[in-house]
Amino acid sequence: MADSEYTPKYAPFFSFAGIAAAMIFGSMGAAYGTAKSGIGIAGVGTFRPDLIMKSLIPVVMSGIIAVYGLVISVLIAGDMDPPPNKYMSLYTGFMHLAAGLSVGLAGVAAGYTIGIVGDAGVRAYMQQSRVYVGMILILIFGEVLGLYGLIVGLILNSKSSG
Amino acid sequence: MATRRIAEKSSPRDVATPSGSEKPSDSDVTPAVPTNVIMKLLGFSVAMVVVPIGSYFVMVDFGASATVGGIVAAVMANVVLVAYIYVAWKDDQAEREADAKQKAKKAQ
Repeated sequence: MADSEYTPKYAPFFSFAGIAAAMIFGSMGAAYGTAKSGIGIAGVGTFRPDLIMKSLIPVVMSGIIAVYGLVISVLIAGDMDPPPNKYMSLYTGFMHLAAGLSVGLAGVAAGYTIGIVGDAGVRAYMQQSRVYVGMILILIFGEVLGLYGLIVGLILNSKSSG
Repeated sequence: MATRRIAEKSSPRDVATPSGSEKPSDSDVTPAVPTNVIMKLLGFSVAMVVVPIGSYFVMVDFGASATVGGIVAAVMANVVLVAYIYVAWKDDQAEREADAKQKAKKAQ
């Protein structure tokens, strides 16, 4: 199979754009979540160093957002092959782009949530220990936003192998 | 965590000042964070990096499809998170029990 109307030369461009989008946007969300909640943790740590271990949870969750982007990037990259071996259809390229964008931008949303909730939640936890369970729940619901993006990305990606 | 250091002058009132004699003029040479806590954090950092991506490649090597590998990787990342929450929770509980014991001793 060579170049055709369905497999133009520029089809892989969209796949690579999807890889980059997943990684870049996912990392942007994770970076915001880590940095914003890190500010709160540093503020808490000066008064209550004993709470640091429990306060680090938003940072761990931000790390997971980046892992989601990484997983989709690795999956899409696994489907890629240079032209003599494989002529990619434009359909596949667009689908990879959709997978990457859904994971990446959902990651931005989740990271933004985790950052703000982590900052405020950790500071509130310093003064009232019962906030902890609520903070964890809100963080999990924020984290799930990124997970939804990953699920959609995985489903989209599985459609291309046909 | 048993890492509570000398409370600063500006600390809020709800901070329980650590028991025992403290001379503010002496320099504190004990390590700020005990080794077991550092090992815990290092372990979780390494696990966060290695476990998801490692499980993906293990699954793919064992013949599972890439999608299954991706799902397993995402699940493993969340398993690490739950393990971290559990460990932090346990840590806090142990500390609270130790604090309660000390208070009981003081009351006698």
